[in-house]
Amino acid sequence: MARGNNEILANLEQIVGPEYVSNEEADLQPYTWDMTWAEPRMPDYVVMPKTVTEIQRILRLANHRKIPVVPYCNGTNIGGLCVPEEGGIIMDLKKMDRILKIDPETCYAVIEPGVSHAAFSAALKATNPQWKGEEFSKGFEFGWGVHPPSASVLAMAINHGIGHLNGRLGINSQLMSSMEVVLPTGEVAKIGSCAYSDSWHSFLPLPRMDGLFTGWLGTTGIVTKLGVWIFPIRPYRDVLTIAAASAEDITNYMVRWRHYSLCDEVTAVSWWLAQIPIVFPYSPKPADAPEFFSYTVISGWSEEELAYKRKMWKEVVEKERAKGTKLIDFEYPPEAKKGRTELPSRIVGSTKNYSKSCGGGIAWPGTFAPCKSWPILYEKWKEIYIRHGLSPATRFTDYQGAHYGMLRCMTPFNKRDPASVQAARDAMVECVRAGLPEGMLPYKPPVEYQNELNAVADAGYLYLMAKIKDMLDPNNIMNPGKLGIR
Amino acid sequence: MSHLLKNKNLKELAKIYDWVSMCTHCGNCKYGYEYGAATNFAAMLCVQGDKFNFDSYRGSRGKVSLARSLLHNRIGWSDKVAHVLFTCTSCGACQQMCETDIKPWILRMFETLRYEAWKQNVAIPENIKAWSSTIGTLYNPYKEPHENRLDWLPSDVRASLPKKAEYIYFAGCTASYRRKQLARATVSLLQKLKVDFTVVEDEWCCASPLLRTGQYDLAAKFVEHNKALPEKYGASTFITTCSGCYRTLGRDYTMDAPEGYADKYGKMTGVKVLHTTHLLEEMLKKGEIEFTGSFNKKVTYHDPCHLGRHAEVYETPRNVLKAVPGLELVEMYRNRKFSFCCGAGGGVRGGFADYSLETAGKRVKEAEATGAELVTSACPFCYTNLADAIELNKSPLKMEDVVEIIEPIVRRK
Ligand SMILES: Cc1cc2nc3c(=O)[nH]c(=O)nc-3n(C[C@H](O)[C@H](O)[C@H](O)COP(=O)(O)OP(=O)(O)OC[C@H]3O[C@@H](n4cnc5c(N)ncnc54)[C@H](O)[C@@H]3O)c2cc1C
Ligand code: SF4
Ligand code: SF4
Repeated sequence: MARGNNEILANLEQIVGPEYVSNEEADLQPYTWDMTWAEPRMPDYVVMPKTVTEIQRILRLANHRKIPVVPYCNGTNIGGLCVPEEGGIIMDLKKMDRILKIDPETCYAVIEPGVSHAAFSAALKATNPQWKGEEFSKGFEFGWGVHPPSASVLAMAINHGIGHLNGRLGINSQLMSSMEVVLPTGEVAKIGSCAYSDSWHSFLPLPRMDGLFTGWLGTTGIVTKLGVWIFPIRPYRDVLTIAAASAEDITNYMVRWRHYSLCDEVTAVSWWLAQIPIVFPYSPKPADAPEFFSYTVISGWSEEELAYKRKMWKEVVEKERAKGTKLIDFEYPPEAKKGRTELPSRIVGSTKNYSKSCGGGIAWPGTFAPCKSWPILYEKWKEIYIRHGLSPATRFTDYQGAHYGMLRCMTPFNKRDPASVQAARDAMVECVRAGLPEGMLPYKPPVEYQNELNAVADAGYLYLMAKIKDMLDPNNIMNPGKLGIR
Repeated sequence: MSHLLKNKNLKELAKIYDWVSMCTHCGNCKYGYEYGAATNFAAMLCVQGDKFNFDSYRGSRGKVSLARSLLHNRIGWSDKVAHVLFTCTSCGACQQMCETDIKPWILRMFETLRYEAWKQNVAIPENIKAWSSTIGTLYNPYKEPHENRLDWLPSDVRASLPKKAEYIYFAGCTASYRRKQLARATVSLLQKLKVDFTVVEDEWCCASPLLRTGQYDLAAKFVEHNKALPEKYGASTFITTCSGCYRTLGRDYTMDAPEGYADKYGKMTGVKVLHTTHLLEEMLKKGEIEFTGSFNKKVTYHDPCHLGRHAEVYETPRNVLKAVPGLELVEMYRNRKFSFCCGAGGGVRGGFADYSLETAGKRVKEAEATGAELVTSACPFCYTNLADAIELNKSPLKMEDVVEIIEPIVRRK
């Protein structure tokens, strides 16, 4: 069965060639849903551009005909963000998969949207940091998350993705250095140093116009090239672990440890998230099991550097214990340790850890929150989750220093059971509602969370947001419905 | 609610919905990847996705999603659905990448979808329909007379073979009708190795093409017939040089679902199934084989999907090749579980010859990039596609099966 209309199809075929456009339901169906509770919606066309010019022409056509356009790379954002609320064109960017540049001296790379974490990590690992021909060490890395390796690096970074270096360097949108974007109306703009030369090393000291396309969930334009900072792989790495009987205790430890900015990452997972797969439906943890398990990754250029970091870490643990914080020694299983030090990983990135056999559904209240709120919200979320028959599979992760971090609850559910879907959605929306007054903000938010956010947002903020959106996208063609405004 | 099983007419597919619904739509299966201290691998492995681009064609996710869309009654059958289903080579690369509970069911699901497709009014590739219409009486998909099945076997050799033997050499349809030199080389090899074997005139197609294209009903009599051969000829073992036959006899005939079809056709028991390279490896290990010459060439080995990913036999043919004096074995970037299919499997060679050869051409280019003079494999079907692509692309590469490399230069100690 075909959808859409033949005239538009013919126009799209003219732009990208008939091989790269389809309006057949058989081709459209994988783009109708994702792993979340989002109700499937059928697009009318899928189109796979290969060049910036093709994207410009598609957007001009879409504007002229007022057809929605949904930017798409792998559709694994865990937010229903590529489900086409109002049909229209799925712009699948996988054919734009070139790594355009890896500069091993200035330490940045330029990538297209279709570059996967798999391809990028392989290329970076094979490139050595150097200066004027002298190689300093082996391989580069970027902030690798625990997502499927087929996911796009660009889509992750522009939506405030989180990687394994976030404790040391901040989240991945902080590692972006330049971008090229096609505006909804078809013009192309370069932002950052690349607007002035072919050097893609920095947005600064220019006005931060990249903010118009970062965190906007594909509603303000198509980012066609992205410069990102890359980092030499440190040859020494270790994972240190500690557990705690409560969220309060683990937070105390994490806050003190990250105060010294000595780790690449410090994360804690609740007992339920430590189970593989996550316990579904909820069942209580054994009474003698710790509530939280924490790992921190340290890295360095020598064994001495690592030894120093281990010494400081031990001091932190001792200081906390002296204060009365109940910390429990535990050994990280070797497989998990390997997973942590060898990201991105198809094993860690697979959904097996979360939803191996529960019926295909995964979602999360994934949020950024001040660390102070972690224990408070964990107790609230735990009550909400258990009430809905779900395991509070919660994660705390610190982002660069003492400011804020991730608070998230990975939630498997059974898509075949309407009650299970409803329970998951209700629980998560309730968690978001409970968190907002504590300073918590959901990332890559599904529409339901956007509505919660907008309900309590500063009016001026919403006004400005709407104004920017209208200015950039006068016909509201870009991923409509995702911001909860327009 | 959109994830409920609403289409009860697709009975075979509905039976495995419990597994199909375990897919999380994560997309791990769309790309080959492994990273670690010793590995740094990233490459497209899906033959179908590489050619047809859209997510419907990429890895298992597109097909699982298709199965669900059909079961949820959100889309109907169409020629396009058939195209998505029949252009997959069943190479199993997507299955390697998947980590959720649907993993072992992925290939079975592809075949079940195809089974359902046959009952719909959709465009099954003409060529598949053509061989399917005669296979029931000719017992091979090449539309050749059954009586000619043993034409490859020189009459003196035929006369010298025992009626009953420990091994039945199961040549398979491709070697019997299209790659006769491989069948002859295998028989010569088995003779040199003094193996107690025979060749049987009532060998039928193993049913691989039928099972891979979802023709369950037609496959039944083939499985039943071939299963009875060992008892009839007093044999304990099937030995074959064909990876497709090896997979079918060794897994489909003998294993429970989802790896095999014991649920449909019962289980073949008490019969061993070996690939020729298994026997060679075993005899080399025991010191029973002696090389009488060398093979002074740089060689790269192409993993047949049915031997490699489907049956996890990766090292056996390599061990055999490594034992050959003078032979330098080099690997393509995509090898073993991350190999790239030759493009022939899953009925694709028959159904879409151009696309199949285009895929083989990609593999030939990869083989050329190793600097090898010769590409070898352990399957007459891969042989056919790769050899044709070598010719079509005027590649300087030569193609020989592992058996053809070994046979001239061995004897039993
Ligand atoms: C098991 C699992 C674990 C995960 N763990 C992490 C993690 O550790 N860290 C993390 O950050 N994320 C994580 N994610 C979320 C997600 O996989 C990543 O953010 C990922 O990089 C998204 O890539 P994608 O190709 O799937 O993007 P898509 O889902 O295709 O796109 C994401 C969003 O970006 C928009 N978009 C895509 N391309 C463009 C473009 N060129 N221009 C403008 N807008 C665009 C889309 O419209 C959509 O709104 C996880 C997901 C899963 C399934
Ligand atoms: S079996 Fe091979 S060709 Fe088919 S979807 Fe999987 S990877 Fe692609
Ligand atoms: S088949 Fe497996 S790897 Fe592919 S999307 Fe489904 S769960 Fe993920």
